[in-house]
Amino acid sequence: MRKYLLTTTAVTAFAFAMWATGASAAGKWDGGDDLPTNPLECGAGAPAPAAPMKYDGAQPTNPPNLAGKEITVVDVPKLIGIGYFNATSKGIADAAKELGNVKAKTDGPTEAKIDEQIKFIDNYITSGVNGILFAANDPVAIAPVLKKALSNGIHVIGYDANSTPDAREWFVNQSPFNGIAKAMMDAMAKEIGEDGAFGIVTSTFTTPNQARWIAEMQTYAAKCHPKMQWLETVEAQEDNVLSFNQATTLINKYGDKLKGLFGMTSVATPASAEAVTKAKLCGKVAVVGLATPNAMKPYVHADCVKSVVLWNPIDLGYAAMYVMRAVVDGKLKPGDASVEAGKLGKLNVINGSEILLGPPFIYDKGNIDKFDF
Amino acid sequence: MSAVPTSARAPRIIVRHEIILAAILVVALIGLGRLNDRFLTVDNLLNQGRLMTEVGLIALPMTFVIVTGGIDVSVGAMVGLCAIVLGYSWKNLGFPLPLAIVFSLGVGAAAGLANGLLITRVRVPPIITTIATLTLFRGLAEGISQAHSVRGYPEWFYFLGQGAVFGVPTQLLILLVAIVVFGVALDRTSFGRTLYAIGSNETAARFSALPVDRIKLAAYALSGLMSGLSAFVLVSRVTTTRSDMGMGYELDAIAAVVLGGTSIFGGSGTIWGTVIGLVMIQLLKNGLALTGVKGDATIVVIGVVLIASVLIASSLQRRRE
Amino acid sequence: MSAIALPRAAAARAPLWRRVSSQETLLAAAIIGLAVVVGLINPRFLAANNLADILLGNAYIAVAAIGMSMVIITGNIDISVGALIGVLATVSGSLAVAGAPIAVTWLAPLVLGVAVMGLQGVVVAYLGIPAIVVTLGMLSILRGGLISVTGGKWITDLPDAFHLYDIEIFGVIPMPVAIMAGATILAAAWMRWWPRGRAIYATGGNAEAARLCGVSPRRTLVLVFLLHGFFAGVAALLFATELRVIQSTTPSGLEFTVITASVVGGVSILGGVGTVVGSTLAAILIAEITSALVFINVSPFWTHAVQGALILATVIADIVRRRRRLAGDVR
Repeated sequence: MRKYLLTTTAVTAFAFAMWATGASAAGKWDGGDDLPTNPLECGAGAPAPAAPMKYDGAQPTNPPNLAGKEITVVDVPKLIGIGYFNATSKGIADAAKELGNVKAKTDGPTEAKIDEQIKFIDNYITSGVNGILFAANDPVAIAPVLKKALSNGIHVIGYDANSTPDAREWFVNQSPFNGIAKAMMDAMAKEIGEDGAFGIVTSTFTTPNQARWIAEMQTYAAKCHPKMQWLETVEAQEDNVLSFNQATTLINKYGDKLKGLFGMTSVATPASAEAVTKAKLCGKVAVVGLATPNAMKPYVHADCVKSVVLWNPIDLGYAAMYVMRAVVDGKLKPGDASVEAGKLGKLNVINGSEILLGPPFIYDKGNIDKFDF
Repeated sequence: MSAVPTSARAPRIIVRHEIILAAILVVALIGLGRLNDRFLTVDNLLNQGRLMTEVGLIALPMTFVIVTGGIDVSVGAMVGLCAIVLGYSWKNLGFPLPLAIVFSLGVGAAAGLANGLLITRVRVPPIITTIATLTLFRGLAEGISQAHSVRGYPEWFYFLGQGAVFGVPTQLLILLVAIVVFGVALDRTSFGRTLYAIGSNETAARFSALPVDRIKLAAYALSGLMSGLSAFVLVSRVTTTRSDMGMGYELDAIAAVVLGGTSIFGGSGTIWGTVIGLVMIQLLKNGLALTGVKGDATIVVIGVVLIASVLIASSLQRRRE
Repeated sequence: MSAIALPRAAAARAPLWRRVSSQETLLAAAIIGLAVVVGLINPRFLAANNLADILLGNAYIAVAAIGMSMVIITGNIDISVGALIGVLATVSGSLAVAGAPIAVTWLAPLVLGVAVMGLQGVVVAYLGIPAIVVTLGMLSILRGGLISVTGGKWITDLPDAFHLYDIEIFGVIPMPVAIMAGATILAAAWMRWWPRGRAIYATGGNAEAARLCGVSPRRTLVLVFLLHGFFAGVAALLFATELRVIQSTTPSGLEFTVITASVVGGVSILGGVGTVVGSTLAAILIAEITSALVFINVSPFWTHAVQGALILATVIADIVRRRRRLAGDVR
């Protein structure tokens, strides 16, 4: 009797998996989300500026007037303990020092869990900060607590990972999703050719930014690199060793067919590069991805990785802090078209309530040593 | 009676673990309140009550399970599964929302029942069963959801997670009712007494013709049911579903139960102890955060407090013997 | 007289099928069987470098499971090992970057691992605090402490000599595999043929009976934790030297993976049963399953569900097999 129970469980489990395999092979790249995409034009050249949109952010209720006065700001990233957010945190601290009248601190969960992040923000609301900077683990789940902050008169600015627009005043966007997608796909096409096949290593399928990028990459590739072949997407959380193992598995599974690997997070990219190095395939399998310079230096110097696509996360944090200060001082109001951000100069407003940092920054052999994060 | 004159005997202070813990809690509260004036405000305390409900609802049946000498580390995964089922059955299967809620509670109870059957019929040790079902349930949540979140619920749905009744957060009221029900069940009913009996000596309990298997089954099924309820509260509070919801809740619940004086070997422990443990952990985290202690240092403090309280309570009880 | 002697003689030489149907042989059969099945679907699975990669990438789990198996056999459990490995890896990497001699960077995690686990062992054995509580608290302390001290900064400039993986024994067997195999064999032999090793089983099976036989359960327990710390240190070394970057955070879920490896390997939480050979084979099997699921195109959304189902099935099979054996065994 029990044996039958056992066998039926095992068989059902396998059957489920097999059936589900068919369901997911319906053409969509694994890891992308279902939101509408907006692929850019093919070929080089900056994208045409988008038509100006109406401001769609939210405003705090009766914020105290602290123009010119000292404010306390807390930065709550997705998680602490990875190079990327160490860098944004540094940018925020640099800006705070420059401004002189901001007390900034970074605090967040040790794992990328939205529930923990919400509790952190909630505590800071109670402790009475003047401003909250955030990078959301989930755009919808974070909205209620951000709205609570706004209703308490606290200024809320997002960076890196957005929330729903009605939960924050402004969002500092490192680069539009379709811009990143274009940069990544073009870089890969340049390295492996127009009919190369590639795999993707991402964190999880539920991480919003990564999911948006993958979805945008798919439509852009369909438009401008139609002969390139997507093989598979694997998940590896934010874990170094797991990313390495998954990338290695992909290399072993596809053999010569796999010509390139995309790393979608600052953890996945160095791990993929290491996997390629260990398999002695440097130069034969391209690695293109988002990563912090320090983690990639050994691979870039070994010519294993030609270029690393990113923006400058230090600049991202820096800009976010300047936006916060501008909002508190009344220098940035709904409907404005640009904002002054210290050494970064003037940053433009796009999509209604987003502030664009700039085009993606490419790190390569020539400039990677100048950075230390 | 005893030949020892009473004056020579040590004073008989009834020092129960729960009372020691409550004393530590009061001291901690006063201390933290001094350090930070926003800590001991009604607003903050009620808010903390709201935030601790999800883990609290799970810690209650966890007490039952641990009292029987078992454990259930799959509760966090069950929360994730129930949350996904709630959203999926509403959006993809088209159930009316109230039915979807009931259905997800049912799925939770069924999952708990599955645990219970594996433990009582196939006799797989609880820790091993629940570690295996942990992966399975989490995997089912990921598979069913296919990484999609379900959002956009009607306004009334958010009342449980974000509303308040006479100023008291709705879910906190539910938690309070649950505490009373579970507490009375453990203390005053034959169900509760059987739980203790099973934990103290399962063989003896069996030979005393107590329905051991049925009671254990009920405890694990309750664990699943309350995970479903916790999922409902969570989804209502954060307005969306994710397959990674509830991750880590099992350790939080076990910490609360153990801190509250329930012995991991079974046979002793009370709901009141669990509640004190739960409140202590929540308020410690909150108080430290308000005082400016960062997240990572807070985690260290919680770990130290956990070990220290168990050490203190254990040594005091040893002295009593 | 002879009627009693007969069954005893028969039991003393247990029938071949019974000896062969142990969990270890079943695991070995499963490893080979799975490889064959997947190899038929995608021959690249059987390529030498793929099999090697499966072993290399997960050797650290097998080594950590050796110590964990010992702990579980005594009837306890440890959920802090994942966090400890993270801490030890960071310590080792930091020393390497700071210019310490390589021998020191390799020894430091071992010493520290033994110290931390030994401390927990003393608390469990002599203060009577349940292991799950102590290790739960220690998990928090280690996790928070690691981030506090390092600020989450990754260690990136590791010197080349740090990497164990590049060393090969006899020019063929990579160091991590050699360590995994060697540690397993040594530990298994010790637990089988040395009195102190067998005492672990006695303590787990029935501590009181063990005590009456002259085994000190408390000292055995502390010894087990010390060894567990040693193996955790070795695992941390393998973990740290695998890549060129050390993430200064604790790998999430590592302790559950290690416990699963021990349990699937046949170690029973009820104490007194199981071998480290089983847990090593189980660790290899779990790693193989993870890789196999990618090779046979199981939808990535269902990977964990399938893994969970397989683990559950293996555990149930082990319990059922053991109960049937207990029912019919004269030993």
